[in-house]
Amino acid sequence: MKGWRPSPPLLLLLPAVIVLAAVVVLPLLLSLYSSFTPFRLTRPETLWVFIGARNYLNILSNGDFWIAFARTVVLLTVALNLEMLIGLGLALLVEKASRGQRILRTIMMFPMMFSPILVGFQFKFMFNDNIGLVNNALQALGLTDRAIPWLIDGNLAFIAILTAEIWSSTSVFAILILAGLLAMPREPVEAARVDGCTPWQTFRYVTWPFIMPFAFIAMTIRSLDVARAYDIVKIMTDGGPAGRTELVWTLVARTAYSDARMGMANAMAYFSILLSILFTVYFYRKLAAARTQIAAEW
Amino acid sequence: MDQNSLHRVRNKALGIAHGVGLFLAMLVICLPGIWIVLSSLRPTVEIMAKPPVWIPQQLSLDAYIAMFSGIGKGGIPVLDYFRNSLIISVTSTVIAIAIGMAGGYAFARYRFRAKSAMFLGLMLTRTVPGIALSLPLFFVFARLGIIDTHFGLILVYVALNVPFTIWLIDGFFRQVPKDLAEAAQIDGCTRWQAFWQVEFPLAGPGIASAGIFAFLTSWNEFALASQLTRSINSKTLPVGLLDYTAEFTIDWRGMCALAVVMIIPALTLTFIVQKHLVGGLTSGAVKG
Repeated sequence: MKGWRPSPPLLLLLPAVIVLAAVVVLPLLLSLYSSFTPFRLTRPETLWVFIGARNYLNILSNGDFWIAFARTVVLLTVALNLEMLIGLGLALLVEKASRGQRILRTIMMFPMMFSPILVGFQFKFMFNDNIGLVNNALQALGLTDRAIPWLIDGNLAFIAILTAEIWSSTSVFAILILAGLLAMPREPVEAARVDGCTPWQTFRYVTWPFIMPFAFIAMTIRSLDVARAYDIVKIMTDGGPAGRTELVWTLVARTAYSDARMGMANAMAYFSILLSILFTVYFYRKLAAARTQIAAEW
Repeated sequence: MDQNSLHRVRNKALGIAHGVGLFLAMLVICLPGIWIVLSSLRPTVEIMAKPPVWIPQQLSLDAYIAMFSGIGKGGIPVLDYFRNSLIISVTSTVIAIAIGMAGGYAFARYRFRAKSAMFLGLMLTRTVPGIALSLPLFFVFARLGIIDTHFGLILVYVALNVPFTIWLIDGFFRQVPKDLAEAAQIDGCTRWQAFWQVEFPLAGPGIASAGIFAFLTSWNEFALASQLTRSINSKTLPVGLLDYTAEFTIDWRGMCALAVVMIIPALTLTFIVQKHLVGGLTSGAVKG
């Protein structure tokens, strides 16, 4: 035991590294290998047939996959931007409130506790064309005289999914941005006002730079599990009608478990992993940059 | 009108607009939840009624009674699901916190090579979509024979929670001044004692909230659980929710009741930790 001793941080991080290697990294290596085989669950021996990059080439020429991929990127981009904007608005509204801030903050956290699967289900219920709250309300208000087929029409279903996604994740942004607003020193804002800035200028050039790192924390946290949109879509439309709301993740699940084409599904899964990693690294670097900027200024 | 009163009117209008905006925002946030609770208490006839019945005529706990009365009487094995969820979530949380505390402490207190690369690497393991991870895990677990067991799901959830737990706990340890532990060490504590008697109690509330966050993640997880569980041996509540959906029909009332059962523990726990949670997430941002 004498001689070489591992350094303390290495020893402390070892359990985490072991668990993650065993449950995440090794299985991913296995799936990387199997993405180069025509592996089917029903025929185990196909795991040993090596077909090179044929799965990937098939995907590259597969129109359905690219449509689903593009739809996923569009959904994430639109959702993240809207969540950011609405979250910012919500945080500003709550920060302005003179009374009852504690209870408002608590209510704001409400959607965070909902499991994504539950979010999907409750919005499926509310957007139901026959008995849903949305259609009932629209009809009662006389805005429409016939039932709107929210989850049956492809474009409307996309909007419904987007709504569910935004409802469930805006609170992450709102809460973190609010934390930033509350942690912000008062003097710069007052100084800006005295110097004759308009409210918009005060916000743009004084408040916003201060709360930016908080917004990026929210973005980073959010991008860690962008894939939970899978749960929502799975239960709301399951990729339907006729694949009009298919996302990368539902397509992977369908290829793997319904069609039992594991090799192909693993190759697709690698595209989705790449997508998640790109989102996370992008926001993480923004966060690091915002952090150093703040450190230099404070 | 002179400028003074004009200004007063404008301020008042802005105040009212602010109040209305706030109220509407909160309404949108709360409405889905309220609607679910309400629907779970109403008879199916009323949920299905056309034209809709807005004001509930009769409220009852029938849905809950039916749900708990077991298979065959319109119920689902909700107690089994609840037990599975509880065992899996609690065990995986405890293990994840133990591992996360070690890791978080290492990041907060030591300098070592490739620290930020290591941190990013840990975070990236979290980004792997559950459904993508489920494919190889399904295969490996089937081979090992741990599919549809508590052990398998606990293992997965520990791995799922460790990165984020490290992030949170790192933040909480940073908030505890280094000098305190050093003072304790000068007074004769070992580093081990200094940790447990000084730093751990101070970071305690934060660690507890990291634990609750991990608990919620396991409690709510669906993508992996839906593939790695099969029967009442290990099915969790989110997977059990699908029991209420048939090919073309959905038992809305029963589903609402199960949703309420699922949300209550999560609701209670989040209220307890909300303050610490935000502090832990942001401390790293401000202090670097």
